[in-house]
Amino acid sequence: MKQAILAVARSVLATAVVLAAPVAMAQNTIRIGMITDRVGPAKGYAEPVAAGAVYAVKELNAKGGLLGKQIELLVEDDQGKPDVSASMARKLVDSGVAFILSVSLTPATQQAQSVTLETGTPHMTPSNSGDTLTTQVTNPNFWQTGPLGSTQIATLLSYARDKNFQKVALITDNSDLGQLINRFFKGALEKADIQIVSEEVVPRGSTTADPQIQKVRAANPDAIFLAGVLTPENALILRSYRQLGLKMPVLGNYNFSIPVYGSIAKGLLNGLAFVDAFDPAKPQTRQFIEDYKKANNGTEPYNLNGYGYDGIMLVADAIKRAGSTDKDKVREAMQATTGYQGVMGGVGSSYGFSDGKRTGFDPNGMVVRVYEGDVQGKVVHVGVK
Amino acid sequence: MKSLAGFVFAALVLSAIAFMLGSYHTDVYRKLLLWITLALGYNFLFGIAGQVAFSHFTFYGIGAYAMVILLFQVGLPLPLAVVAGIIVCVVLALVVAIPATRLEGFYLALATLAFAQLFIVVLNEGGSVTGGAGGLANYRLPDIFGVRVTGPWYTVVIVFLMLGTLAVLWRLDRSWFGRACRAVRDDPQAAQAMGINITTTRIVAYAVTSALAGAAGMVYAFVDNTVNPPIFGLENSFLLLFMVIVGGSGRPAGAIVGAILLYLMPFFLSPLIGHHHALVFGVVMVAVVLFQPKGLIGIWDSWMARRRVS
Amino acid sequence: MSDFVELMVGATASGCIYALVALSYLLITRPTGIINFAVGEWAMVAAFGGFLVLSRYEWPYPLGMAFVLVVMAAVGWITERFAVRPLVEKGAPPLAPILALLGMLVVFREIISVSMGPDPQPVPPLFGYGRLELGMIAGSYQSFFIIAVTFAVFGLVWYFFERTLAGRSFEAVAIDRRAAALMGINLRRVTALAFAGSAGVAGLAGLLVSPNVSAHYLMGLPLAIQGFTALVIGGVGRVEGALLGGLILAIAEQATVRYAPIPPGLAQGVPLVLLIAFLLVRPTGLLQARESRA
Repeated sequence: MKQAILAVARSVLATAVVLAAPVAMAQNTIRIGMITDRVGPAKGYAEPVAAGAVYAVKELNAKGGLLGKQIELLVEDDQGKPDVSASMARKLVDSGVAFILSVSLTPATQQAQSVTLETGTPHMTPSNSGDTLTTQVTNPNFWQTGPLGSTQIATLLSYARDKNFQKVALITDNSDLGQLINRFFKGALEKADIQIVSEEVVPRGSTTADPQIQKVRAANPDAIFLAGVLTPENALILRSYRQLGLKMPVLGNYNFSIPVYGSIAKGLLNGLAFVDAFDPAKPQTRQFIEDYKKANNGTEPYNLNGYGYDGIMLVADAIKRAGSTDKDKVREAMQATTGYQGVMGGVGSSYGFSDGKRTGFDPNGMVVRVYEGDVQGKVVHVGVK
Repeated sequence: MKSLAGFVFAALVLSAIAFMLGSYHTDVYRKLLLWITLALGYNFLFGIAGQVAFSHFTFYGIGAYAMVILLFQVGLPLPLAVVAGIIVCVVLALVVAIPATRLEGFYLALATLAFAQLFIVVLNEGGSVTGGAGGLANYRLPDIFGVRVTGPWYTVVIVFLMLGTLAVLWRLDRSWFGRACRAVRDDPQAAQAMGINITTTRIVAYAVTSALAGAAGMVYAFVDNTVNPPIFGLENSFLLLFMVIVGGSGRPAGAIVGAILLYLMPFFLSPLIGHHHALVFGVVMVAVVLFQPKGLIGIWDSWMARRRVS
Repeated sequence: MSDFVELMVGATASGCIYALVALSYLLITRPTGIINFAVGEWAMVAAFGGFLVLSRYEWPYPLGMAFVLVVMAAVGWITERFAVRPLVEKGAPPLAPILALLGMLVVFREIISVSMGPDPQPVPPLFGYGRLELGMIAGSYQSFFIIAVTFAVFGLVWYFFERTLAGRSFEAVAIDRRAAALMGINLRRVTALAFAGSAGVAGLAGLLVSPNVSAHYLMGLPLAIQGFTALVIGGVGRVEGALLGGLILAIAEQATVRYAPIPPGLAQGVPLVLLIAFLLVRPTGLLQARESRA
């Protein structure tokens, strides 16, 4: 018994010493924190966003840094676990960061908010698309510039307006983000007086989507909306769609813009319309692609990298306007962001947090593209007009 | 008497630590204490009672969600919510235990695995009661007698939870019940011949440890003030098993060592070797099972034994 | 009606995948009593092997498939040699190898995740993605291929266990290890073969399912759970049980999604409830072993 207690006490003390978080000493750098997922389920999405952010910091530092100081990017891994994300947020706050970027799962970002709310630390996600991040908790220190689920469906609906869909099918998966996006898709469809005649879920680990697609076929909708975010399961849906001979238009959420579909869903993509926030023809975007390629041995960037890049740029812009890393000043400056033109978003769109809202992605900033064969075609529709 | 002094001493030391730590360390410390609490309970269920169950972490989740729902949706006052929460955990534990303890070894593992998955499905489909896939947030611990328990004082609450769990389990372990559990684990037929009721023993062991896990969950609800389905997923159930195995099953000290090592390992390794730390995890698990099946506490034991001899 | 038949074809194909995973468990569990939860990860490793060999290096399909299966058999043999044999020879409790294999589960998954990256990768199917329609019976080429291969494999395994001497020695070991050893059966070889065979079968499952779901590093755990559920339903005692269990599970799952008027999210609970029901009511599964010991 005494053994056990001594074991605990000894270990805890040793741990406290070793785990010493880097103390914010004489600040000759500006510290920005980033929480990513390196080993968990969000890895495929978080890591490219993180890479874009790292590149942005490198670019800024090469041009002289921020407020005359170099930027130090502290990256923590939350393993895709929400409670670890909260711990990492605390670690970053203790290290004296001026801003925290969360690029891991939506629930992880949500949990990290409990920390930034408590400590008043500026916090943003450049990539998460869950609408509830700014509504579930009122956190004046948190901003979201990722492509909201509500913006995605609004853009798709505006694109589809002249097609006059009366009844549609809605398919998603059982991931938390998939369920969340599904909720917003459903709400928007119902509000537009479009009847949802079939609502299906393809759970993670399925070997086929045939039963769900058979149900859709039997309901005979005018179109199918896809709200899921799990890549293998989405591929299953597309495959069943072709196998079972369905022909109605398919409109996909933002997840379908990720290039991996080109390799695992070959032959299944032609004609699929999807929302994206990346227009390679936009001047800023073209520049970004060129510069990134040069700095990274010819690796071509794609939309996920752009989110990370814009995230850092927005943060840097806010800090510059604030003139310091004081949390209150930075918060005010960030909230005052308006008309910022970044890499992401269609031509003419910009980031801004007008009227006290904390979602910054331009509601008119998403574009609709259509797959031609297995290649992402050019932009066919912009915004929600 | 000696043990009481030991506990008081531990309570003081561990609580004092709570006041010395910065915000990040406090967070890690709190979660570490909670994992130790869970590992102690699981060690009793798995190591001493010999039940291979994957539902321990699920009861943690049941406790957490029950607390939040009872407090903020049903609107119970805090003391009542605590009692009601424990009752919910015990009742659910019995509902699961009574059929489950009829099953042997891996059938029990599988049934509890299915139960754990079912819990997540229920959480996801629970609409506004459970907050669905997004979970529940935006709440905080209500004042107790007008006092806002927060910061290091809440850590003290967790310290007491951990020590309380340790005390209860240690007492059980030393009592005839502990011996009965071991007897049932090692040789059910002999145990029965000696007059031990196998089924009752198993049910009680399962219900008690699950209720303790639920109590830990109720405390956890206010650590991050968020509960959502991913927190209570299957991965953590496996982690709990790994902790007890690596530390040394059947020994509370083993559970503590295992919990500390495996919870903290990713934090140490991640900055050193990036995302390879999960691999190290698996390798450590295999290595421990192969070379030191008694767990790391076994290494400590043999070292102590050698010292005593020389 | 045609919907139903079409669904049955697809469900049968899914059931065959589950059946193969269940067989993979069974091949190890029968002679050794060890439950190897890492079979899902074996399937995943083979899927990535298939990606490398068939997609990236574009070997002809039969050659590539055979190569991956041989590699998997080697993986199985190595796993047994290094993670299991030392424990069995030391006389460790039966739980120990199972835990070691759980550790190996993590090791396999991380090795693949670290070396191949987090993105899912494509694996080409042998006959392409076309569709075959024989009257009312309609399904993808791949579905029919899966069904054909699975039945062939089960036929072979059944024949092996029932009619060959080597197979009967497996049965003997399953029934009574000590007696089998006394009769001169080489326990070590049987165990090694069991693991190699199990890995091969799991690898086959991975190769067959990945053209549809792609090769991705999280695919192991769901397969392992589905396969184990199939095993419980069908019964550990007989090879045919694995096939029966897999088919029942898949058909129940898919028929529920297609026809049951319950919200889609809850339909996921069906296999779980089924599993729990079986465990409580008939834990030995539907098919009993022919000569089971009390």
